[in-house]
Amino acid sequence: MALLDVRDLTVTFQTNDGPVNAVNGLSFAVDTHETLAIVGESGSGKSQTAFAIMGLLARNGGAAGQALFDGTDLLTLSPRQLNRVRANQIAMIFQDPMTSLNPYMRVSDQMAEVLQLHRGLSKRDAVAEAAQMLDAVRIPDAKARIGMYPHEFSGGMRQRIMIAMALLCRPRLLIADEPTTALDVTVQAQIMQLLADIREEFGTAVILITHDLGIVAGFCDRTLVLYGGQIMEEGPTQAIFDDPSHPYTSGLLKAVPRLDRDDADLLTIAGEPPDMSHLPAGCPFSPRCDWVRDECPGLKPPLVPFAADRRRACHVAAEEITR
Amino acid sequence: MLSFVARRIAVAIPTLLILIVFSFVVMFAAPGGPFDSERPLPAQVLANIEARYGLDQPYWRQIVDYVWGVVIHFDFGPSFQYRDRSVNDIIAQGFPVTLTYGIWSALVAVVVGVSLGTAAALRQNSWLDYLAVGVTIGAQALPNFVMAPVLILVFTLMLGWLPGGGWNGGQWTHVIMPVIALSTSYMASIARIMRSSMLETLNSNFIRTARAKGLPMSRVIWRHAMKPALLPVISYLGPAMVGMITGSVIVDVIFSTGGIGSYFVNSAFNRDYAVIMGITILVGALTISFNLLVDILYAWIDPKIRY
Repeated sequence: MALLDVRDLTVTFQTNDGPVNAVNGLSFAVDTHETLAIVGESGSGKSQTAFAIMGLLARNGGAAGQALFDGTDLLTLSPRQLNRVRANQIAMIFQDPMTSLNPYMRVSDQMAEVLQLHRGLSKRDAVAEAAQMLDAVRIPDAKARIGMYPHEFSGGMRQRIMIAMALLCRPRLLIADEPTTALDVTVQAQIMQLLADIREEFGTAVILITHDLGIVAGFCDRTLVLYGGQIMEEGPTQAIFDDPSHPYTSGLLKAVPRLDRDDADLLTIAGEPPDMSHLPAGCPFSPRCDWVRDECPGLKPPLVPFAADRRRACHVAAEEITR
Repeated sequence: MLSFVARRIAVAIPTLLILIVFSFVVMFAAPGGPFDSERPLPAQVLANIEARYGLDQPYWRQIVDYVWGVVIHFDFGPSFQYRDRSVNDIIAQGFPVTLTYGIWSALVAVVVGVSLGTAAALRQNSWLDYLAVGVTIGAQALPNFVMAPVLILVFTLMLGWLPGGGWNGGQWTHVIMPVIALSTSYMASIARIMRSSMLETLNSNFIRTARAKGLPMSRVIWRHAMKPALLPVISYLGPAMVGMITGSVIVDVIFSTGGIGSYFVNSAFNRDYAVIMGITILVGALTISFNLLVDILYAWIDPKIRY
């Protein structure tokens, strides 16, 4: 049985212009120790998928479908039951480390409260264990610095603190929502290396949410490509990179800047990310697709298996799609 | 932190001196004097009176004498209007009254305002929220010179529960209505500030982190959201506390509480220089103290502020 089994997840926001679906009938699974990448542009529904699983949707948002964690549907849990899963079983780190830590509390207090709450440790023991975890994410002089406030750390250090805080209860699943987007390129590499190391060390399954295909390649077992809140294609990361089967994936791969080629032009996907309140009835990507056919805007392509462990949703034959 | 407090106090002293001199100059610049009346006094009588109060001296001399008296002897001089009473007597009599209902008003305004604002924010767009917003808008719009007579009408004349005025040594039945009349609009402002700052705080990323940690909502509010949400309330409280503690003239007049507010207005009409000055200095000193207090509270709550 998969560790996390998401079935037909739909996230709807009640707005002044009526209900808007951010995620449309999403189904995917994550196995124990597996790393899954969820890739897509801004507004593709990646973060909202994660928030729905964690019960962190904004007040006007609601989730339908199922999110089975170890067989328990997270979407039906009471707030109390959900609080026992959060941090303890599933932990999450966020996009912006500059604002994700409470600026008014010492790092020691913010970390210790997790252990006090979930493991019933005393304040003293909790701080000691938190300091060890800071050490594990390679924060120098952790014992002394744990008493500092977040603003006394750099962005990269703060993301390390977030990661350490997420790992305190040894969760079985870590959801990393664009963990490196707000960081310098050199720091990005360090953070990804750190995530890879702790994944090995703690045996944690990881969902990595990102728009940056560059960091997916070496890190994730499987990749899920999302557009307009729907899956475009899914499969082993290597296979998707070598042989994309969907026009959107192909476009994303072309848009990754490469230093080993001479062409100076950076390719982009024409058009704007989708307006979620006015999606076409058919394929959401059809307005921007180079391979678009007559039936595409009106008829939604089903998500079908086509090769070993791969699924795709496109009317165009897979062989026709090239990098 | 200590050096910051020391520096602020060091700055407060010249500030207060400038305030004294400025008020003095403005007061003398205004036409008329304390002993002018419809029928002019004989020149000799006027000269005698002015000599008694030192008004025959040149201005600079009067200012120096006054400041000297205040600073060295803590003596604000005699009242020009109430014979045989010094300004110190008037303040000693009126200020405790004002202070009592002022502090009670501040407490009521903060406790009720913060609770109401927080409750409304937590139940945004519910009937409770709409009720709270409606009540606070009404309370802010209702002037206390309307509210005070209505309170007397209802609780004294119709129900007969509370005395309609007087102070009676600060007995609680006499304190209730002045406190309600004085605190309501401040309470409403605090509730509205608290509601919006709590809403903003609850939308911030670190609150999402706190929820992702599995903390129960009550812990999220108390440990993570309360401090930042209170910051705007605290900055509002500086001047508001001074307003409440120095009392409202209207409350003093309508409830005949004998607080300092009524003296302030009367002294201005009567050109009672010494009383005007005394109360001005008192209010000035309170304003400076409360601003200092607000700054200290801010530094205590927000670790990013270092002086």
